[in-house]
Amino acid sequence: MPIRRLPEHLVNRIAAGEVVERPASALKELVENAVDAGATRITVRLSSGGIDRVEVIDDGCGMSAEEMALALERHATSKLPDDDIEGVETLGFRGEALPSIASVSRLTLESRVRGAEGWSRIVDNGDLEEEGPAALPPGTRVLVENLFAKVPARRKFLRTPRSEYAAAADTIRRLAMARSDIGFTLEHDGRRNIAVQPGETRPERVAALTDRQLIENSVAVDYDRGTAKLEGVASLPTFNRGVADHQYLFVNGRPVKDRLLIGAVRGAYQDLLARDRHPVLALFLTVPAGEVDVNVHPAKTEVRFREPANIRGLIVGGLRHALDEAGFRSVQRPSAAALGNWQAEPVEGGVGQSSTAYPQGYSSEHPQPHQQGHPQGFQQRAAFFTPPPGSDQASVWDGAPEYQPAPEGKAEAAEAPVPDAATHPLGIARGQVSETYIVAEAEDGLVIVDQHAAHERLVLERMNRAVAEGGVASQGLLVPEVVDLDESACDALEERIGELAELGLELERFGPKAMLVRATPAMLGAGDTKGLVRDLADEIAAYDQHLSLKEKLDHVAATMACHGSVRAGRVLAVAEMNALLREMEVTPHSGQCNHGRPTWVKLGHGDIEKLFGRK
Amino acid sequence: MKATIERAVLLKSLGHVQSVVERRNTIPILSNVLIEAVEGGGIKLMATDLDLQIVETVEAQVEQAGATTVSAHTLFDIVRKLPEGSQVSLEAAEGKMAVNAGRARFNLSTLPRDDFPVIAEGDLPTVFEIPAATLREIVDKTRFAISTEETRYYLNGIFFHVTDDDQPVLKAAATDGHRLARFTLPRPDGAEGMPDVIIPRKCIAELRKMLDELDGTVEIALSDSKVRFGLGTAVMTSKLIDGTFPDYNRVIPTGNDKLLKIDPRSFEEGVDRVATIATEKTRAVKMALDTDKITLSVTSPENGTASEEVAGQYGSDGFEIGFNARYLLDILGQVQGDAIEVHLADAAAPTLIRENDKASALYVLMPMRV
Ligand SMILES: Nc1ncnc2c1ncn2[C@@H]1O[C@H](COP(=O)(O)OP(=O)(O)OP(=O)(O)O)[C@@H](O)[C@H]1O
Ligand SMILES: [Mg+2]
Repeated sequence: MPIRRLPEHLVNRIAAGEVVERPASALKELVENAVDAGATRITVRLSSGGIDRVEVIDDGCGMSAEEMALALERHATSKLPDDDIEGVETLGFRGEALPSIASVSRLTLESRVRGAEGWSRIVDNGDLEEEGPAALPPGTRVLVENLFAKVPARRKFLRTPRSEYAAAADTIRRLAMARSDIGFTLEHDGRRNIAVQPGETRPERVAALTDRQLIENSVAVDYDRGTAKLEGVASLPTFNRGVADHQYLFVNGRPVKDRLLIGAVRGAYQDLLARDRHPVLALFLTVPAGEVDVNVHPAKTEVRFREPANIRGLIVGGLRHALDEAGFRSVQRPSAAALGNWQAEPVEGGVGQSSTAYPQGYSSEHPQPHQQGHPQGFQQRAAFFTPPPGSDQASVWDGAPEYQPAPEGKAEAAEAPVPDAATHPLGIARGQVSETYIVAEAEDGLVIVDQHAAHERLVLERMNRAVAEGGVASQGLLVPEVVDLDESACDALEERIGELAELGLELERFGPKAMLVRATPAMLGAGDTKGLVRDLADEIAAYDQHLSLKEKLDHVAATMACHGSVRAGRVLAVAEMNALLREMEVTPHSGQCNHGRPTWVKLGHGDIEKLFGRK
Repeated sequence: MKATIERAVLLKSLGHVQSVVERRNTIPILSNVLIEAVEGGGIKLMATDLDLQIVETVEAQVEQAGATTVSAHTLFDIVRKLPEGSQVSLEAAEGKMAVNAGRARFNLSTLPRDDFPVIAEGDLPTVFEIPAATLREIVDKTRFAISTEETRYYLNGIFFHVTDDDQPVLKAAATDGHRLARFTLPRPDGAEGMPDVIIPRKCIAELRKMLDELDGTVEIALSDSKVRFGLGTAVMTSKLIDGTFPDYNRVIPTGNDKLLKIDPRSFEEGVDRVATIATEKTRAVKMALDTDKITLSVTSPENGTASEEVAGQYGSDGFEIGFNARYLLDILGQVQGDAIEVHLADAAAPTLIRENDKASALYVLMPMRV
């Protein structure tokens, strides 16, 4: 069979198969080019999720007519001036993207170098259609239409415009996070969905692209380990989500998707957060170019670290450090929903629209349900106060507060004078409610603490500190235990032998399909060694993280913590309450219980005023 | 059935049998005690958890023979609260049992005696006797090392076996994988050819309670699946753990060349004192060996540090080794004499502890890495 050199247009189309698989990937290449061109504002317009049309306009350096012709040729790039592929600092470097996209779509490239004339070049599925002068502001405009119109095999695999759009928006979000100095706008079918200004700080940018409230509920990560550096923002454990969709990793400025992040984040937030809750975070990792290989896949979303364990350690360490610094902070304000429960009842016959929302039978059976101290009325209040679904919360906020029967909890007179409150963020204990909650007065509001959750947390933290400082003691086994596992599980465990030994588990490879256990963490007692090792192997396979061992240790710690804790339902003296508050202020992570729920909430003066309709 | 029995007698034997009954039972009859009045022969009380059964015979005036079952814990609680010195009459008829003493009247629900499960002993070919005091010692010196880890069920009991060392011996051993305790005694007559058996922890615990009140000898009869203890008026029958006890002889070190001789009391007290500040479950105590003394120390990040020097006889190279304080105390609580022997090799090797080379008990303890 004769061997032949493939014609240029076929080579491009094959390359396109790798670089461009959907509108979002074409978009990514174009926006990266704009970033590389030094743009300060980048505008993106999409139609039908980008299937019909992707347009990227930048105000970057632009290209001359000759450069434009070259740019559309394969392996033509301005970004590797000296063959140093290791040291590349631009997002692009292959000189592959434009020709690839041009080979599977109708591509219009318009560009103008400042102080020169603009030029336009239109390429239709690889063939030059027309070129000539164009009028445009300095910068570049790329328009990609009818992607894959002539590649039915690809076109068939495109998803609905909606999910193509979701992927495209994710791409923009990641790139916009990576470069908070650049302004981005994203319009889809005529609607502007993302607009961020140039020159924002990183936390502002991340919050703008994820959740505005992140600003108040996050910690800054800034962790320098010599050659490697981790920066970014991470939400407090109490600010969490049901899905791990808002977790972003950037390596040397490049957005990447890597499973390593999932495991490391889990590791860092572990025991601060329930398993099914996830923090919001954006982490920016800077490592020497030699430590990471970005040339793994043409789309550049995957990277390969030379020492993945170090990187994982850096991320866990950096996050943990930042969270430790945050100390007792947690979500500072009660959530809107919780505040809803503080609402006062509207005046009798007052705001009409809300009375219709009362539970049935209210008006006929209990025309005046809240007779003072009436136990029934007390009970029912909970139901009344919950805003009916869909009702406008603000409307029920108005109205006079009803008379509140004295709560049954006793409020001891506080002995400490108020001035102290200024120096104590969690305030001065004023009393205890239901023998479960401590009520304290802080300088800026009212603090309510769940005494059991708070104390349990303090004890666990104390114990964790012991583990951290003293290392994990391990107990040798009289007869080393042989655990049969499959070969890949053994390989995975063997790779982690060093780390596991630090946690007190001493393993040795024992033939191809078994591990020998010489010592186990002393905290676990004479437990089920085989089970532990098996769980561990599973866990490592799933997350490449030795969590289950740590989890087991934590579980022991947590169980002991629970036993050693003040139960709900115990009456505390004011001195005891204050001692608890003071300890919380200086203990890391005391703002949330072991399941990520807050241990305390603060009702600011503003919130209190709102409750009484003064604001 | 109708019988009268002295409260104290009934209380004592109910105390024995009711502790076999599990508090929570899915099979109702297992919560009950079987009461059988034998014409002219007193009353037999019996309880079981299907693995372990106790039958105790006590004196009583039987007016009418018969049998029934009632809740063991309820009956025990009732009898406990009856006035001291009272005569208790038990009368069963028509699905109820009346318990009367003084002016107190109880009428308890019963379950038919025929539903009550009895462990089939089968043939018990090996029969021998051991003095109660010796059996007590065997149990005390080994049971603390029994494993509670259910996945290693074969360690959940004391292993008894006979061998011919210099002379024929019976050995009892228990281990939880971290420490081993072994007791050796001359083979009792009749124990030759005895199968290796593992007696489960619960049986050991109940046996130990019974031994407290017993002088004389205990008759032991066993096969490879059951064991029966004749304990005076009581007979305890238990199933054995169906498993293979590991060859523990391998873990008893023979070449440990560093010998420490130390007074067990001051050693024990020292460990106990320094361990006070080790609040964690691990309770690691470090032992630094030096010429003719050891220094015990505990470091707790939470509480601070503690150390204590204890004098002893030691002439080898100094080094440090860590142990679980609780494990050490368990062992030291069982040794007597002015000076015990601690045979060490290095910080990672099993350590052997015994009173002396004649002692019947021997302990092996695995160190901790601290
Ligand atoms: N928006 C733009 N503004 C200015 N120059 C551009 C722009 N887009 C592309 N270029 C020029 O065209 C060249 C080719 O772009 P192309 O995207 O094909 O390759 P690349 O970015 O160098 O590498 P890669 O294939 O890795 O993206 C670039 O090197 C750059 O010089
Ligand atoms: Mg490019």
